[in-house]
Amino acid sequence: MENDRSERIIISDKQYTILKLVSQGINDVDDISQRMGVKREDIMRDIEELKVRGLLNIKRFSLDRYGLTKEGELYISQGFPEEYLLEVLSKVKIIERNKISSFLEKYGKKLDGYHLKVALQHLAKNKILLFEKDKVRLNEDKKDEYLKNIERIKEILRIINKKGVCDDTYIINLLKRRKLIERKPLTKIVLEIPPIVLEKFKKGLVRKQRIITVLTSDILSEKSWVNASFKEYDITQSPPVIFPGKKHPYLDLLDQIREILVSMGFEEVKGPHVELELWNFDALFQAQDHPAREIHDTYFLKYPIYGRFDDYELLKRVSLTHENGWITGSKGWGYKWDSRKALRLVLRTQTTAVSVRTLYTRGEGEYMCFSLDRVFRPENLDAKHSMEFYQLEGIIVGRQVTFRHLIGFFDELARRLGLGKVKVKPAYFPFTEPSVEGFIKHPKLGWMEVFPGGMFRPEVLIPLGVRESNVAAWGIGIDRIAMTILGIDDIRQLFSSDIAFLRNMKKPFIGSLIER
Amino acid sequence: MPVIEISRFDLEKLLGISLSDDQIEYYLPMLKCEIEEVDDDLIIYEATHDRPDLYSVEGLSRALRGILGIETELPIFNSKVEFFKCISDGPSYRPVALFATVHNVRLDDEAIKQMMQLQEKLHTTYCRNRRKVSIGIYDLDKITPPVKYMGVKPEDASFVPLDMNNRLNLKEILEKHPKGIEYAHLVKDHGYFPLLIDSKGKILSFPPIVNSEDTKVDLDTKNLFIDVTSTDLQAAFKVLSIVATSLYERGDYIGLIKTVLKNNNEVVSPDLSYSIISVKKDTIERLLGVNIDSNKIIELLGKMRFSASIENDKEIQVKVPPYRADILHEVDIVEDILMAYGYDNVEPVVMRPLHPGREDGLEFFTRHIRELLVGYGFQEVNNYMLTNKEVIFSKMGLEEQPVVEVKNPKQETYSCIRTWIIPQLIRVLSNSKHADYPQKIFEAGDVAIPDLESPNGVREEKRLAIAMTDSKVSFTDIYAVLDSIMKKLNLKFILKRAVHRSFIKGRVAEILVNKSNVGIIGEIHPEVLEKWDLTTPVVAAELNLGLIKEIYLKKNV
Repeated sequence: MENDRSERIIISDKQYTILKLVSQGINDVDDISQRMGVKREDIMRDIEELKVRGLLNIKRFSLDRYGLTKEGELYISQGFPEEYLLEVLSKVKIIERNKISSFLEKYGKKLDGYHLKVALQHLAKNKILLFEKDKVRLNEDKKDEYLKNIERIKEILRIINKKGVCDDTYIINLLKRRKLIERKPLTKIVLEIPPIVLEKFKKGLVRKQRIITVLTSDILSEKSWVNASFKEYDITQSPPVIFPGKKHPYLDLLDQIREILVSMGFEEVKGPHVELELWNFDALFQAQDHPAREIHDTYFLKYPIYGRFDDYELLKRVSLTHENGWITGSKGWGYKWDSRKALRLVLRTQTTAVSVRTLYTRGEGEYMCFSLDRVFRPENLDAKHSMEFYQLEGIIVGRQVTFRHLIGFFDELARRLGLGKVKVKPAYFPFTEPSVEGFIKHPKLGWMEVFPGGMFRPEVLIPLGVRESNVAAWGIGIDRIAMTILGIDDIRQLFSSDIAFLRNMKKPFIGSLIER
Repeated sequence: MPVIEISRFDLEKLLGISLSDDQIEYYLPMLKCEIEEVDDDLIIYEATHDRPDLYSVEGLSRALRGILGIETELPIFNSKVEFFKCISDGPSYRPVALFATVHNVRLDDEAIKQMMQLQEKLHTTYCRNRRKVSIGIYDLDKITPPVKYMGVKPEDASFVPLDMNNRLNLKEILEKHPKGIEYAHLVKDHGYFPLLIDSKGKILSFPPIVNSEDTKVDLDTKNLFIDVTSTDLQAAFKVLSIVATSLYERGDYIGLIKTVLKNNNEVVSPDLSYSIISVKKDTIERLLGVNIDSNKIIELLGKMRFSASIENDKEIQVKVPPYRADILHEVDIVEDILMAYGYDNVEPVVMRPLHPGREDGLEFFTRHIRELLVGYGFQEVNNYMLTNKEVIFSKMGLEEQPVVEVKNPKQETYSCIRTWIIPQLIRVLSNSKHADYPQKIFEAGDVAIPDLESPNGVREEKRLAIAMTDSKVSFTDIYAVLDSIMKKLNLKFILKRAVHRSFIKGRVAEILVNKSNVGIIGEIHPEVLEKWDLTTPVVAAELNLGLIKEIYLKKNV
């Protein structure tokens, strides 16, 4: 039984009927479709499927067949033109050649010029009409026989119309000459069951079953799928394209970077985009005439121009530190500090402003914070430059925090971002000492400066109230790193406004987050 | 940062040894000089703002001699006091001038090129484009000291400026000489212009604009006269020290010059004396996390051209050469110790977290709302906060409203901060007509609205904006999304009819939660669609996520 079952062939109802007819010797597709009461094209798909499954062989050949022309169809439905003419002429026997048309009309019959000519031609040829000068005379003797002959031809036309054949080649040629029939070759499809299948069929191993193409709730509720089988899906065909809802690839990446920072023990902090110069520069010990504070490097505001700051003690401390170093142990910059300038508003140029705000709020202690947000610099937007970009900024605060922790952080971040080994070199930033720049080796672009940082200067920390702790600080332009991970080379694509582009962008993954 | 070009041959001549490419590429970065190009003749490097003494080959060779161990510790500057006394009596807006000479210099084309480069790079950086300080260098033998710095009326002095053939008065120089045109803004609004003349009445220069052709340095020059004019005496001293000590590298001795200032005080310049700074050993260790033996520290400092000695177990006394304008604090010395020690010799250590990390609360909330939107099949987009008034107002059918506006935009397209996000979503739809429909997009981002009540003059809000378009889309479609978001947040809301010209009348509403207006929803007006060249209807909503988070917290947590 097991064996039987495995040898079983399940086919649909319709296909079973086809096979059955073929096994009975009805192997012409036209005959089959006629017996099934459907059109030939309705069963061709099933026949092809049976063929693909090796259950049928198909043979095609072409047959000589004839069909009626338009003229021929007209003749069997309306009669031959000769019949018209004879019917009317029977009434007069003799008539003038040029009066035939008007005579026909008088009796309510109409023949156009062409058909009148045809009728006269054939009747004359068979001597039914005799031409005498300009008159035509009817030969009554032969008339009936001729009409009988026309009836016979009509019958033959009807047979040809139906079957496409006629044994009488004389008639065929005659009808061809009168352009009543034309060749219409017929493709004959003949089916044949391979012997092995026929044997199975006879053993009853070919079973019919309903085939389900689309499973519907009706089928499920009727449980009719139990005795049915499912049509196999053509898995070689491509599916239609769909677009998922998804995150912006760059923001997706930033989310993952956030996750990395959080897992390293950093707390996220936020600060305003429209910032007082105090926080963007002065608290960072950037002198008020520092070149970075000029229009080439900072967006100043037309409106609003000034902000407020109520902690006058801090302003005083910052002021003294700039002017003479205050109690920080520094010489200071030696100029007259202007509080008006510190209260001017800018679009923040560095999220370091967020770090110093954090130090001001939290002061002394052991903590690690980061911010991942936008900063602004006056640049013309092109493939390499942007007036708005993201910075990954952070601080490590604590009494035991040293420069080693800063470069340790770079190593660890580079490892988690999959950027390889970091090389560190001395660098200069106005608010850190020592300052450092971390480089990574890009496979194509060579050494890239990616990790700037340093230890915040006492001139930054002491006015904010941080006297005991060291602060390792870093501010990374994350866009270039993101571009290498996302595999794009135009910075504008990080802010693309093309939905098709965004839909087609691959989902980014930071390897370290998914490798284990 | 300034990019410096030097001749390799010249550098090696000043060093007294030749260097391999590898040595150049190893030692220059130790001085924060990032190499851009090295070949047989030329070295190009980028120097940093804190080391103006490295803006020419002379200062670089002096520093390299230390690192290479050829000549360590404080450099010695031979000097003699000049017999004459100069006068600094400049106009009030640029009162100070200080002077120096350098004798028996050996000049060639390269030396003159370096001299000009040093001047130019100092001018653009430390001297703040000549606003704060400007430098002039002359052939001492073409002038007759003492020199007087003074203010004159623009038409009262005339001379032949550099690279010209005819005499021009000071006013004409500002109109005709290229440097006059470039720097006119520094003096033109004043009644008196700065002028330097010698004891015979010969004009040396019109600072900070241009020198005279007559006093120009050339290949035959043997002795140099230097002036710096400034708004600030300290700055003038610093710059003069850098210039004089650099030029000294090619000469025999520096001439010290007495100058009588406006207040009749007498100063001597240049200042070649070292300053003393005490560095606590504890600071070094606490900052670097590296324990370096005191003697080693002294040796490392010697390589960086400081002379150091042990003061006691806790402190090291460091003598700082006069050209190191960057040394303000002991931490600046610590960095130099680290540079000599080698950044790559420091063992990195990863900070073990003392507390668990955490994402910002609003960021976390926003991320989860974004994930909801993704679940509804929306594509996230990312727009700049910088935009322009046309986008956020006129193309939205709105009158102009107060907005955070940039004073110095680079491109008018990006000249103000967005006050709402929907216009940029519509811009995205307008730019994406080739993409398949339906299009459903969102953005969660920051906006800023002027608010003179708040300390920073603005109110910043985190917003969520949503937009949908298709051949057929209506208020119901976006309403359904809003409704679903609010249900997920367990917040009841009502819609209140609103008037807003970006939307179709009667198809726009304020979204109220607990009587607070948390956003707007509606169907974009066909007039707006036409302005954006859109031929499909658009529905949109914008929510204040910060406010919604606050309400959620009060209600649910």
